[in-house]
Amino acid sequence: MHEMGIALEIHRVCREAVAGRGPGRIEKVRVAVGELSAIEPDLLRFAWEAVTRETTDEGAALEIEWHRTEQVCPSCGPVPDRAPGTWLRLCPSCGGPLELRGGTELEVLDLVFAAEDDPPGPGGDEPGEESA
Amino acid sequence: MSSDERDGRRVTRDFVRIRKSALAANDRVAGELRDRFRDAGTLVLNLVSAPGSGKTTLLEQTVRRLRDELSLGVLEGDVATELDAERIRALGVPARQIVTGGACHLESRIVRRALEEAEFPPLDILFIENVGNLVCPTSYDLGEDFKVALVSVPEGDDKPFKYPGIFRRALIAVVTKVDLLPHFSFDLDRVRERVATLNPAARFVAVSSTTGEGVDAWCDLLREALAAKREGRPWP
Repeated sequence: MHEMGIALEIHRVCREAVAGRGPGRIEKVRVAVGELSAIEPDLLRFAWEAVTRETTDEGAALEIEWHRTEQVCPSCGPVPDRAPGTWLRLCPSCGGPLELRGGTELEVLDLVFAAEDDPPGPGGDEPGEESA
Repeated sequence: MSSDERDGRRVTRDFVRIRKSALAANDRVAGELRDRFRDAGTLVLNLVSAPGSGKTTLLEQTVRRLRDELSLGVLEGDVATELDAERIRALGVPARQIVTGGACHLESRIVRRALEEAEFPPLDILFIENVGNLVCPTSYDLGEDFKVALVSVPEGDDKPFKYPGIFRRALIAVVTKVDLLPHFSFDLDRVRERVATLNPAARFVAVSSTTGEGVDAWCDLLREALAAKREGRPWP
């Protein structure tokens, strides 16, 4: 169970990315996790809850973008519909050897940071405009 | 960006793009170690297997064969005890125990500190024996040239597909305890095929540290990899 260490590191990377933005909390983080990354998504979510508990970012959502490994035949292309956890030795069409592509991802993609601005002064700031 | 009010304070939401490995801190130190090993001409192997697969016993046989020819050093990762390092030191080869105190894998910072404390002489080959575990060590780069994955005959021939992450990454797959083949329904060819499915470039070797079968072939692979590193060639 090394997901705890990974979750701590994800939180550290996120906090580093918002350093200098002033007070606020991380609301959502997206991470890419690959089939061959040796990470169990449920354990990572559990660990994320644990490492963010009693921090500013408590309750931040961890969204996992799951990346499957593709088995690819150099002649016929990707093998369709491989059942999870099973691997084909040879291409079902031409019998040639297959290559593996992807699935080793373990990357912090992006986050949503909710910055708390200073309270509006008595002179009245305009309320913030919604923008993309 | 979007804004709203919360508890009378204005909240501004920002989307922050990061695109950074969750292992960046470990990888940075591993990169420093790799540079250091390259400058020193030291081949570094990260040995990964389940507990009891015979990593230390294979290392004992390996250092017996190579110690007069090459300068060797061993880092032994274990949750507890100095036992493994003592076994290697008994053979006249410098070894440093890393006691992780519960951690299920080694990280690059732990290796860096152990190397500082070990004060090894200049090495031809450094063996890093990871904590017995086929999952957690998979993600962690220790600055090694490559990982070696070991599976013993009693564990069963389905190990590569059960732990594809490590067998995808390892450049040598070793089946150990092949003297036990007559007593188990373990299909060596099936393991060879499964390893090749996950990593066609990986080399495959079957050994018995008890009878010595295959240990010379394993040592030859190490010599090949060391020569390739010294000549700046990719291997295998």
